[in-house]
Amino acid sequence: MRFCVCVKQVPDVTAPIQISGGQLSYDAGRVVLNAYDASAVEAALVLTAEHGGEVDVVLVGPERAAETVRKALAMGADRGTHLVADGELDSAAVSSLLAAVASGYDVILTGKQAQDSDAGLAGGMLAERLGLPYVTNAVGLAQEGDAIVVTRLGDAGQETIALPTPCLVTCSNDMNDPRIPNLKGIMAAKRKTIDTRPATDVPAARVTTLGYEPLPTRAAGRRLDGEPAAQAAEVVRLLADEASVL
Amino acid sequence: MSTVLSYVAAPEGVPTRASLEVLTRARQLAEAGGHRVAAVVLSTDAAASADVLGRYGAATVYAVSDAAFAEPLNAPAVQALADVMARADAALVLFPSTEGVKDLLGALAIRTDAAVLPDVVEVDWVDGGVGALRPVMASKFMARVRAEGSPVLVSMRAGSVEASEAPVEPTVENVSLSLDASAATLREIAGAAAGMVDLADARIVVAAGRGVKDAAAKALVEELAEVLGAAIGASRAVVETGVFPATAQIGQTGKVVSPDLYIGVGISGAIQHVAGMVGSRTIVAINQNADAPIFDVATYGIVGDLYSVVPALIAEIKKHKAG
Ligand SMILES: Cc1cc2nc3c(=O)[nH]c(=O)nc-3n(C[C@H](O)[C@H](O)[C@H](O)COP(=O)(O)OP(=O)(O)OC[C@H]3O[C@@H](n4cnc5c(N)ncnc54)[C@H](O)[C@@H]3O)c2cc1C
Ligand SMILES: Nc1ncnc2c1ncn2[C@@H]1O[C@H](COP(=O)(O)O)[C@@H](O)[C@H]1O
Repeated sequence: MRFCVCVKQVPDVTAPIQISGGQLSYDAGRVVLNAYDASAVEAALVLTAEHGGEVDVVLVGPERAAETVRKALAMGADRGTHLVADGELDSAAVSSLLAAVASGYDVILTGKQAQDSDAGLAGGMLAERLGLPYVTNAVGLAQEGDAIVVTRLGDAGQETIALPTPCLVTCSNDMNDPRIPNLKGIMAAKRKTIDTRPATDVPAARVTTLGYEPLPTRAAGRRLDGEPAAQAAEVVRLLADEASVL
Repeated sequence: MSTVLSYVAAPEGVPTRASLEVLTRARQLAEAGGHRVAAVVLSTDAAASADVLGRYGAATVYAVSDAAFAEPLNAPAVQALADVMARADAALVLFPSTEGVKDLLGALAIRTDAAVLPDVVEVDWVDGGVGALRPVMASKFMARVRAEGSPVLVSMRAGSVEASEAPVEPTVENVSLSLDASAATLREIAGAAAGMVDLADARIVVAAGRGVKDAAAKALVEELAEVLGAAIGASRAVVETGVFPATAQIGQTGKVVSPDLYIGVGISGAIQHVAGMVGSRTIVAINQNADAPIFDVATYGIVGDLYSVVPALIAEIKKHKAG
């Protein structure tokens, strides 16, 4: 089957990120392939290794995001498309740009959410734009003939859902451990094609980010010392009298 | 007059706590904006929860009953909600941010040409638009966002507002639709054990991490949860090893919980875990490493070995409950 995996470059959330003047600032070098998208790439590579097929990746982002496309190619993807766009795009705009590139594939994979926006929208939006059946928050993926069988984590438990192809699946990182590109993969990626072109017809954003704020401050915590019995007695007293939760 | 519509998740006919919180906020926003307030329920027997929804102020309840809603598939839900939004002339639709809602929100936004603000902790009318505050970057920061036009879809994190009653006699609109056959087919649901407290709706959560190494420690966590009437959560570390079910995972990948009380046992407090619990009202951390980052967000920190702290805590809670 032919897979198209949508990958985003995001700031590394474990690196230092500051707020100044309502905007976020971080080291431009500390950007990564969105962890959920890495799992999507891994899933496509595993399925095509077993059943045959190919894996293309598509990214919307600034020039410097080319390295993230390259990273997916180094993992083993066959070809990349990089739609160059600067500035913040909401999930609706991104999904509209992705729709033009991702149509015609048997299976489209996205991450369940971007680690920076934590929105979790673009996958479902893309499926709707292309009229495809889809499943979100997949933790398992299998191919059975022409169908894709997805295990997803729902509210009540693990749901197993069969989708006819073409279809779209959004992936959780609980699905697999994405491979780290080896030297051979990195060398091979240098010879793979990236179709780089400017994003055109970027829809006007319906959603705008006015600015960023720190989290509301929590009251400074208290350490409870002493032997376990004393600690337990003190915390129960505080939970009952101070926090009123017991 | 257009409507502020509130989506209600009502498994077994009982609206979840998060759904009643969302309905409360919908009612307040309808009042402030001069709109009608209505609730929509998709279920096999959707009218069953109308009385409760009236108690929380739903003037109209759109009850869409169909056997299809016995299965957690997104296509019928998207179709039904798009239909009800049109019927109700919805200007704003509020949802609880459940996995079921996350599964349909993006598609519904495109289908209904709506702007969408997912997973917010505050929402209000702002200068003719809808403004919201939403955690981003693994809940390290808040983004102040704004949506233009109508309709706008907003999903709210559980615990963002306090549910309050404002009783009315609801008008029940039974909506019958001919739903398209779903291309996706459900094969099975491996469910959580019956009788377990639902994590996202729980008032008290006891969460276990890698420090909970063996059956003895797991039994302690289960006993602590039981004496508190708490739901059991877990870090990714102990979900990966299969010690706790995947549905118990709290965090950026897992569920977001904001209970009145969260107790973390043997959890270090990695950013991706904290993302799922930092909204809890009171946080207790039990960890033997005094430098564990979980203590940075803890209301009460207990540095100690869980094998001795948890039994002492169980005994102390039992004593408190008895007396
Ligand atoms: C994209 C991404 C998404 C992720 N999503 C999630 C998520 O949703 N949820 C999540 O939890 N993680 C998530 N993670 C993983 C996260 O980064 C951490 O690896 C994980 O939370 C660690 O779990 P832990 O705290 O149980 O384990 P550890 O970090 O190993 O901490 C164990 C703690 O137990 C303490 N301990 C050990 N023995 C005892 C004892 N006897 N008594 C008391 N304390 C003891 C130790 O001092 C230590 O602090 C994600 C990671 C990534 C990259
Ligand atoms: N700029 C982008 N380029 C390519 N794919 C993207 C982009 N933004 C989002 N996606 C895909 O859509 C998923 C969900 O994104 P979001 O709706 O922002 O949470 C991501 O995990 C990616 O797979």
